[in-house]
Amino acid sequence: MRARDINKVELVKQKAIELLVDLGFEGFTMNKLAKACKISVATLYIYYQDKDDLILKIGIEEVERISAIMLENFDPDSSFEEGLRQQWKNRAKCLFENPLSAQMIEQLRTSTYQSKVLGIFGKNFKGPLGKFMQNSIERGEIEAVPFETYWSVAFAPLYNLIRFHNEGQSLGGKPFVLTDEILWKTFDLVLKALRK
Amino acid sequence: MDINIEHILLFKTNIRSEGDKRYIGKIMEEHQIEEWTVDLHDIDCVLRIVSPTLKLEEVINLVMNSGYHCEVLT
Repeated sequence: MRARDINKVELVKQKAIELLVDLGFEGFTMNKLAKACKISVATLYIYYQDKDDLILKIGIEEVERISAIMLENFDPDSSFEEGLRQQWKNRAKCLFENPLSAQMIEQLRTSTYQSKVLGIFGKNFKGPLGKFMQNSIERGEIEAVPFETYWSVAFAPLYNLIRFHNEGQSLGGKPFVLTDEILWKTFDLVLKALRK
Repeated sequence: MDINIEHILLFKTNIRSEGDKRYIGKIMEEHQIEEWTVDLHDIDCVLRIVSPTLKLEEVINLVMNSGYHCEVLT
């Protein structure tokens, strides 16, 4: 593909994510996307077979990209504290730097695309995260709990803090900004809860 | 995905429902057109055909003669 076209594909992807988040999958149309990118509808249909194909391809690319960021510098053989800290860093960075992608992935989670797109997270994470948890259990660092229990305690608090942050408020409309101090204080509590 | 852009034919249609699509599917089959899709989720109901030999006019005639609207997508 020519360099010029790669830029165009990237623009289409960015605008598509913005519009999908803004309008939802139903409200999103190829026409609106073409207008936003200042290209013809026909050009879009050269890259993508149809709206479904576009949502799927972009969804899959984003999930692959985000899961790569989430696993950056993560070593499944590291100590439990170090490994979990790295995952918190990665996940926080991911959500702060890619709020729109994160929101689109959240939309995919509750859509008919769910099975086709979100399985990729499972495929990418199963190996390293499974090994990490297994290592931590074998070394006696954490209790042997069901994976779902582990995941919920390990990450749900982080996701909730980020949700408060993105919404700019916590419970009852109280203004909220997530600081490093709050983030790592919460991390310490999570660590305490999971450790033996 | 190495499709020659020249081989992608695009049309705005009113092939709206699954039923319409099935019907057009039969027509496509009869004319040995294999690589085709219709976007039922979008307002232009875009018919997309990949073929090195077909002409725009041929497709328009084929679809119009089947009772559907069909024009070149610009």
